[in-house]
Amino acid sequence: MNGTKRQINAWTFVAPSLILTLIFGVYPVFWALKYMFYDYQGFGTPLFVGLDNFERLLRDKDFWKSVVNTFIYAGGKLVITIPLSFVLAVVLNRALKGRQLLRAIYFMPTVISASVMAIVFYVIFNSYNGMVNQLLMGAGIVSAPIDWLGAKHALVTAIIIAIWGAVGNYMLLFIAGLQNIPEDLYEAASLDGAGPLRKMWSITVPMLGPVLQMIIMLAITVSLKGYESIMVLTEGGPYGKTEVMYLYLYKLFFPVSSGGSSIQQFGYGSAVGFTTAVIVGLITLIYFYVSKKLNDIY
Amino acid sequence: MKKNQWMLAGASLLLAGSLAACSSNNNATTEAEGGSDKPAEQTKLVYWSIDRHDSDFIEQKISEYEGLNPGVDIEFKVMADNYAQSVDIAFSSKQAPDILRVDTGNVPTWVKKGYLESFDEYITPEMKSRFENVLINEKNTIDGKIYTLPNIGQFWRLIYNVDLFEKAGIAAPPTTLAEMVEDAKKITAAGKDIGAYGLAGNFKSGSGFERIAHPITTLSKTVGTEGFNFQTGQFDFGMYKETLEALRQIVEDGSMMPGSESLDIDPLRAQFAQGKIGMYFNHSVEPSVYKTQFPTDIRWAAALPPTVDGKQNGASQVISGSYLAMSKDSGQKEAAWKFIEWMYSDEVQTAYQEGGYGVSVIPSVAAAAKAPDIPGIEYFLPTKFDGIYPATPFGATEGRLEGTKKMDVFNRYIFTGGDLDKEIQDLNTRYNAALEKAKAAGDTTIEAQPDFSAANLQGSLVSE
Repeated sequence: MNGTKRQINAWTFVAPSLILTLIFGVYPVFWALKYMFYDYQGFGTPLFVGLDNFERLLRDKDFWKSVVNTFIYAGGKLVITIPLSFVLAVVLNRALKGRQLLRAIYFMPTVISASVMAIVFYVIFNSYNGMVNQLLMGAGIVSAPIDWLGAKHALVTAIIIAIWGAVGNYMLLFIAGLQNIPEDLYEAASLDGAGPLRKMWSITVPMLGPVLQMIIMLAITVSLKGYESIMVLTEGGPYGKTEVMYLYLYKLFFPVSSGGSSIQQFGYGSAVGFTTAVIVGLITLIYFYVSKKLNDIY
Repeated sequence: MKKNQWMLAGASLLLAGSLAACSSNNNATTEAEGGSDKPAEQTKLVYWSIDRHDSDFIEQKISEYEGLNPGVDIEFKVMADNYAQSVDIAFSSKQAPDILRVDTGNVPTWVKKGYLESFDEYITPEMKSRFENVLINEKNTIDGKIYTLPNIGQFWRLIYNVDLFEKAGIAAPPTTLAEMVEDAKKITAAGKDIGAYGLAGNFKSGSGFERIAHPITTLSKTVGTEGFNFQTGQFDFGMYKETLEALRQIVEDGSMMPGSESLDIDPLRAQFAQGKIGMYFNHSVEPSVYKTQFPTDIRWAAALPPTVDGKQNGASQVISGSYLAMSKDSGQKEAAWKFIEWMYSDEVQTAYQEGGYGVSVIPSVAAAAKAPDIPGIEYFLPTKFDGIYPATPFGATEGRLEGTKKMDVFNRYIFTGGDLDKEIQDLNTRYNAALEKAKAAGDTTIEAQPDFSAANLQGSLVSE
């Protein structure tokens, strides 16, 4: 096969996905980069307003509250999900009877749609006849129903659901990493008298460095961008208590709740979209810089 | 190897091509296949609706229409989820339906986006006269042109559990806000053994507050609705003050159903059907909900909303104004209009009301149609205290609003308290600033109507 033919073959394979990516991935980004300087509601002539949308964004307390909520949501999810999925991976990587079934059970939430998951959890957590309250009250742990989806607890409930949905996925990635660690390292350590904890700390964790770096990066970006289950569960309420960045952004482009305005705000939405992308990008960069050591170990 | 590569490439292109093929050609006059009993040429119309509850009726009427007009083939689709987005995508990809259901809130926007064809060229003077009393600027007409017409209206009531009222020793539904607060307290006390509460609201939705406040406020006062004072042409959320204080008191008394902050309307209905809720507010769709969706053994009834002081100074807001519209992109406008005209006929709309799908606001239909055979519908039939209000600039204003929306501010006050006067003042300032921006951008043309009084709406939907 000569060079030209090889090129044609390569481009033939690449073209379909490239075209779709350009249309649905790249074009909207440039579209948003333009309209963030415009007042545009999806009809009529867009009006150039310079930096007005960004000035409004700086004044927009609801947006900044959603940024704080996002950090709490993502932080809470990460702090619990990563160690939990790591422990599960270590346990289910051993020669345990029924481990395949357990892996499948833990992984199952990953294949369930976030919206369906949220509807199921709405039924489980609702305060008037939800299963969680019935169990807690039946066991005598609480005397009155807890309003899990009310202002005080809704964000915690959203974090619990996010953890449930994510643990299986990261567990599987950890298992893949664990299976790449050569067994002879553990054997050598055993000959040197190392116990399980020592082996975990001195072999498993360092050898998982690059995998861990990738998993945490994935977890950070996915958590910062997550909003689907919250949208179904609370629509960002009560009164903004579970509003996260990307839900706030989504509502500007696609107003969701009845009773409010159905008018889209493409111009301001584009400015919010750009800012949220910068925030997520900056956090990812900082993480990469801080986590460089994880890659240096092996 | 080479063969495999080309097979893979072919498969990739096929997949990409199949994506593009997932579209249909709507505005087509199609030839029938050979051997069919249908005539050689058929006019195909596509009709989209957001309503699932009446889809059986609509399909039946479409079959009837196709029988009367053998040259017409109507494809009916219910697009219940993300309807507005689906319409946007359909128009931008030149796949818009010929006929589409439209909500009043979307009429001005869709006209500005160039989606809708005016009825003016098609409507006969006779038909226009049937709808004369229900033509409303920015609800179904824009700049004097008709883009849609109403069929049914939402008639709002206080819905209550008669069993719980009797258990609490209450003889009649409340007629004042003070009575409503007191009744909620009594029902909660009397219903402790079964976990029943006095009042519930679906505050998860932005409309949760409005479902309670709009009926009470519009029947109590004469100046406007949706926070908009027609007399001054400004927003004045002070009109909700007494209702907000009453709801706050109900929460403080512990008479509001726990979980109302995050409650959807269907779980609320399910709880009401199980006898756990004393009172809530909703509209004329409820009887059919309790007949089909949540059949219940409890005794329930509905009454006109209570008012601030027991006096019915205004008219309880009836949500109505729009139904079917015609696409500007339709290549079959004459055929589409003929179908729309038939759907608005007294014959079809009378059958619609008698079938229990809604309460008509078309005067000629309201006069002729019998009440549907649905228990409880009698509470929702038009009274002299119901009226359709002019359009407000609320939607256009919220599209320009900076800061927290009124629904979040009010829900926060109801459940956590705060300085209500300060909150109302802040909302008035921000909404009126947004209103000025909306006016300057041409989003709304609604101006003050100094002579407006909701008292004049009384009796507009029924004869004495």
